[in-house]
Amino acid sequence: MLTVCHLYPDLLNLYGDRGNIIAFVRRCQWRGIPVRVREVGIGEPVDFGAVDFVFLGGGSDREQTLMAEDLLRRKDELQAAIEDGLVMLAICGGYQLLGRYYRTLQGETIPGLGLLDFYTRAGEKRLIGDIAVEAELGGRTVRLVGFENHAGQTFLGNIRPFGRVLAGYGNNGQDGTEGARYKNVFCSYLHGPILPKNTALTDYLIGRALARRGQDGILCPLDDTFEERACAVILRRLRLGR
Amino acid sequence: MRLRLCAATLAGKVAARLARLCGRRGSSLPGVVALRLYPGVLARLVSQVRTGVIIVTGTNGKTTTSNMIARMLASAGFRVINNREGANLITGVTAAFVRAADLFGRIHCDYAVLEVDEASFPRVAAQTNPRLVVVTNFFRDQLDRYGELDTTISFIRRTLAERPHISLVLNADDPLVAQLARYVRNTKFYGLAPRSAGAPRGATSREARFCPFCGHSLEYTGYHYSQLGIYQCTGCGFARPRPDVEAAAAAVAGQVMRSRVRWEEKVISVVLPTQGVYNLYNALAAFTTGMVLGIDPATAAASLGHYTPATGRLEGFLYRGKPVYLNLVKNPAGFNESLNLLFAGRGTGDVFIAINDNDADGHDISWLWDVDFEVLAGVKDKLSFVCSGKRGAEMAVRLKYAGVPPRKITVVDNLRAAIDCTLNGRGGAAYFLATYTALWPVEKLLRRRVTRTALENAADV
Repeated sequence: MLTVCHLYPDLLNLYGDRGNIIAFVRRCQWRGIPVRVREVGIGEPVDFGAVDFVFLGGGSDREQTLMAEDLLRRKDELQAAIEDGLVMLAICGGYQLLGRYYRTLQGETIPGLGLLDFYTRAGEKRLIGDIAVEAELGGRTVRLVGFENHAGQTFLGNIRPFGRVLAGYGNNGQDGTEGARYKNVFCSYLHGPILPKNTALTDYLIGRALARRGQDGILCPLDDTFEERACAVILRRLRLGR
Repeated sequence: MRLRLCAATLAGKVAARLARLCGRRGSSLPGVVALRLYPGVLARLVSQVRTGVIIVTGTNGKTTTSNMIARMLASAGFRVINNREGANLITGVTAAFVRAADLFGRIHCDYAVLEVDEASFPRVAAQTNPRLVVVTNFFRDQLDRYGELDTTISFIRRTLAERPHISLVLNADDPLVAQLARYVRNTKFYGLAPRSAGAPRGATSREARFCPFCGHSLEYTGYHYSQLGIYQCTGCGFARPRPDVEAAAAAVAGQVMRSRVRWEEKVISVVLPTQGVYNLYNALAAFTTGMVLGIDPATAAASLGHYTPATGRLEGFLYRGKPVYLNLVKNPAGFNESLNLLFAGRGTGDVFIAINDNDADGHDISWLWDVDFEVLAGVKDKLSFVCSGKRGAEMAVRLKYAGVPPRKITVVDNLRAAIDCTLNGRGGAAYFLATYTALWPVEKLLRRRVTRTALENAADV
C-alpha cells in the first residue's frame, strides 16, 4: 500500500496541480498497486515517515504565507524523511519554499524552509509560456513538457538541477537549468500539470516509492498513446519535433 | 475635435466592412482602428448616451446577462446599444459604439449595456462613467493573462472605491462579489433561496475559502455551485447579505425552467427558455437591474421568457431529429455546470470537446484539471467523447485520468471531421463544448448541418 500525501489541497489549488495526485494514483491503480491519498491541511497531523509520496504545489501570496508558517513547524520531521529517501514533488511556489529565501522586488527577504541549497528572487518580468526540458531519470534521458508561469527566478547553489531547458525559461531564464533535485526530492516550475503528460517521470516516482518500501520498483508498461500525443503537440510547437 | 471624431468613426466603420468582406467577424477591429486614430473616441461617443451606461462584469454569465438586460430595456421602449458578440475588451466596447454611431459621430440611444471583461473593467469604467454596474461572479479564468483572481478583484475594488456614486447589482451568493457592496453607497443583491434538500456536491474548484475582510475561513450551510451559496465568516460579521431579489430553485420542465422570484413583498413567476442554475442567476441579475431602473416587473419577466441564447450559450439545434447543444466552456465553474447538463439528459450521448489555447482562450489549459470530470466515471457507459482543437489530445488525457475508458475517447484534430464524427455517433443527443476561439468555427460548421430548435416557443408551454 502506497500512501500519497497531498499537502494543503484547500490552499494550493491553483493551476490544476491536483492533476499530479490524480496521475500518480491512477497509474498505480491501473497496475494493481494499492494506493491511498491523505489530504493534509493547516495544523493537521502527518507522519512523513509513514508516507510514500508527498506533493507540494503553489498558491497565491496569502496562501503561500499560510502554508510556509505551517510547514516551518514540521521542518525537522520533513528533513529527516527527505534524508531517509522520501519521494517528493514540489512545483513552483512549493519548490521555492524548500529553498533558503525569496527576495521580493522591494528587497524584502522571506525566509524559506532552507532544506535545499538555492534561493529565489522576484524578477521584473513574469516568465510565462510552454516549456520543454531534458532530464535524466534512472539513467534514461527523457523530454518533459509543461507550462511555466512564475515571477520568481531561482538560482541553484550546491544542488543539481532537475533538468536542462530545451525551450522556455526554466529556473531563471539565464543559466539553462530547470528545477532542482536532491535524493528523491524533485522540484520544478512545470505546470500543465507535469505528471499526467510526462508519464516517464510519474512512473519513475512510483518506482522510487516502491523501491524505498523494499519492492523491485519495476513497473509493467501502460498504453500511453494519448499522453505521448499531448506531449508531441507541445514539442512540435517548440520546434523540437522528434 | 468633431473632425477627429468623425474620422475615427468612419475609419472604424470602413474597417468593419473590410473585415466582413474578408470573411472575418471583426467584432473588435473597428474599435482598434478608431482608438488608434482618436484615443478619446469612446468617451466622446459615450457622453451622448441619454440616460446612462450599464456595465456587466464578472467571470461567467456576462454575455447572457447583458443581452437579457438589453432586451428587457428594448421591450420597455428604450433605445439600447450593446456589444452583443461578447467582444468585451475596450476595443470591443468601442467597436459597439462606432457601429451605432452615424457618419457624423452621433449616437442616439437611451442606454448602453456593456459586458466588460473583469480585467478591463477599471479602464472601461474610467472612460464610460457607468451609472450602474452588475457583477455576476468571480471564478478562476485564464490565469496566465491576468495573474491571480485576487489581483483582478482588488483592481475592481479600487475602481469602485474611487466612484462610490455607482449603483451596484451584486450576486449575494458569491462572497467574492458581495464584498464589493462596502465600497459604494447603493447596492441591490440577488440570490437563490437556500435549498431545502439535497447535499451540495463536492466543490473542488471553490475559490473563496476565506473571508475577504478578515481572512478567517468562511462557513457554508449550503452550496448552489462552486463557491456560490449561503456563507458566513467565522471571524468577523461578514455573511451572505439578504437578497433584494430572490428566486426559489427552479423546476425544469422539458427545455424550460420555471422559478418564483420574490422581490420586495411581491412574487412573480419567471419562465426561462434555457437550462442550468447559472442561467437562473443571469436572469436574476437582469431582473434586479430592471427593478433598479424602474421597469415594470411584468414586462421584465416577459422579456426574460423570450430570451434567445447568444452563440454558444447553450444553443439548441436539431440534427436529423436528434437534439444538439452547443456551449462555451472557459473555466472550471462553467465547465462543471456544462457537465451537469450531460447528466440531465437521461439517454446516451456523444460529447464533442474542442480545446484551443490561443490568446483569447488563455495559453495555460491546466484549469482542465480543476474541472470535476471524475463525475463522468459514473455515466461512462452512456457517453462517447470526441476531443478536438489544438489541445484535443490533452483533453483526452484528462478524460482518461478521470476514469473514462480510453475506448470511449477519440482524438480528431480536424474540427470538421470531429464534428461529423460526433453528429453521426450512436447517442440520442449530441453535446458540443468549445473554448472561445473554437466556438465560432464550430458554430459555423454546425449551422450548415443542423436546424435551430424553436426554444422560444417552448416558453409558452
